[in-house]
Amino acid sequence: MKNKKITVTRRDFIRGSVGATLGFTILGPEWLKGVAGKSSRSSVVIVRDKNAMDTALNVDRNVLENMLEQTLTHVTGKSNRDEAWHELVSPQDIIGLVPTPLMNPTHDELIDAVKASLISAGIPAENIRNAQGRSVDLTALISLPGLKAHWLTGIGTVIKNYILYSGAPRNYHHQNSTKLGEIWNLPQVKGKTKLILVDALHPVCDKGPQVDPRYRWAYNGLIAGTDPVAVDAVCLKIIRAKREELRGEPWPLSPPPICVEAADKVYKLGNSDLNNIDIETIGWAEDLLV
Amino acid sequence: MKPEKINLPNTIDGWKLEGAPRLIDKTNIFDYMNGAGELYLSYHFDHLSVYEYKNKSGNDIVVELYNMKDSQDAFGLLSLDWGGEPVRLDQPEEEKHREAVIPQDRAFYGKGLLRVWSDNLYVRIMAFKDVPGVREAILRLGKIITAGRSHPPPPEMLLAVKHPTDFPWTLRKDRTAYFRSYLVLNSLFYLSHENILNLDLFTEAVIVTYEKEQESREKQSARLLVIKYPDYGKAVTALDSFFKAYLPDQNSKLVPDKDRESQDFFHIEDGWTGFRLSGRGLALVFECPDKKSAQEIIQQALLNTL
Repeated sequence: MKNKKITVTRRDFIRGSVGATLGFTILGPEWLKGVAGKSSRSSVVIVRDKNAMDTALNVDRNVLENMLEQTLTHVTGKSNRDEAWHELVSPQDIIGLVPTPLMNPTHDELIDAVKASLISAGIPAENIRNAQGRSVDLTALISLPGLKAHWLTGIGTVIKNYILYSGAPRNYHHQNSTKLGEIWNLPQVKGKTKLILVDALHPVCDKGPQVDPRYRWAYNGLIAGTDPVAVDAVCLKIIRAKREELRGEPWPLSPPPICVEAADKVYKLGNSDLNNIDIETIGWAEDLLV
Repeated sequence: MKPEKINLPNTIDGWKLEGAPRLIDKTNIFDYMNGAGELYLSYHFDHLSVYEYKNKSGNDIVVELYNMKDSQDAFGLLSLDWGGEPVRLDQPEEEKHREAVIPQDRAFYGKGLLRVWSDNLYVRIMAFKDVPGVREAILRLGKIITAGRSHPPPPEMLLAVKHPTDFPWTLRKDRTAYFRSYLVLNSLFYLSHENILNLDLFTEAVIVTYEKEQESREKQSARLLVIKYPDYGKAVTALDSFFKAYLPDQNSKLVPDKDRESQDFFHIEDGWTGFRLSGRGLALVFECPDKKSAQEIIQQALLNTL
């Protein structure tokens, strides 16, 4: 049975059997033993401020700082920024900030705000590093992806953000894009992610491969949580809603973002089912898309 | 690798050209654009020249000239998105394509980005911010780049899809695309993460979308995919691969015969799908509401012209 070749196709999506086919394809029949059981819920926080960017798309650093503080306190349930950071990381941690470098890169203003906020909370500046794709001796990671669709993986936000840690990103561009979740289980990454903070100030809702400004819009938001799959699932919901709004007709993501479902059902990294995700929204509510 | 013989101005409307162009080829395209490089390599890519214009406000304009090995590949890149405002640069006023399945325009502008097909060049000119004055500067650059260049017709392959005026389905010209790679196919119409149709740089493919209004129901749409393989044997192998991956639960008793056309249709989850094989041409239909529609649509492929 192990020798039987099974290919994930469009038909699996229509049948709703993609999870099963993926599990079987990637892990073989052994996958079936580990399917049952997971029922915990995940939380995702969306903080938006209409004034995060001006009409020329310049970021207001003060507004962004405020949004970051609100995000941290709502993700952790703590009453202030410092307590929130100490819930997530410790001063002894060597912390890697992992922004998106290309195609809708993470705003420098957000990277700066996170770094300044960590330092204000008592984390030594020398313990905070820009760590995209570097296999240095980090003990904690803060993932800072930009919200975007992607032409090879459907979505290129949370799960894909660690692709450079694989050492061979091109290996994940083709058939193996479904396996992006396995990167999160590599030793240099596994268990180290303390916060996923998505830069949703100015997202891209079409696949690219390069940015086309017709498909960008000012969402003016941060999307955060500690479950990477849940955060990606909420990002997907926003991107899908924006695509339909732009075209006024069904405009499915193509290829479908299998990596998100695989990250849940095959690699057990979190919840991809929106029914198991609590979304808390704070601030500007217009065109929220969730 | 040398920059193309296009003399870009040193200044334009307050923007100043910065330094020599950056030259990018197959060896360093991923350093420049990460996974986006897969798109250009899936066509016959030669090299890319990147010019940067800067102005006092920091609103840079980036000019990217993708030099493809031939015109049809540059056309293919434009065909992936027919959206935006059509603009005329150096296009002949009276140009009428013989092909009825694509829009007539060769350049589109939208929110600070101009995309152009000009002979073997695919051009992208983009400003970081779409502020007053940007559109004019970008269009002027587009005109300078395309001035005096030839205007080859779109790929012959497009002639392999007919579209008679009395056909009961409407053809969405703005959804027609020309490509060679399953990665591109998947970005337009997902079939599988694997290359189940054996597409590569030696194949040519066109996908078209048909629509039909339905009373008090959502508009019906269907797809026709036409592929030209290098020879009959490769077309048969590709059809066999497609069958095994996509229709493993369906039986087709047809035995391909080089001298005879063969076709078959199947009812699957999203409607009727089917194939037609003739010589080195393979046509496939997807999402048809009934067998008759599938048969009608697949007959729009003129496989004997391939």
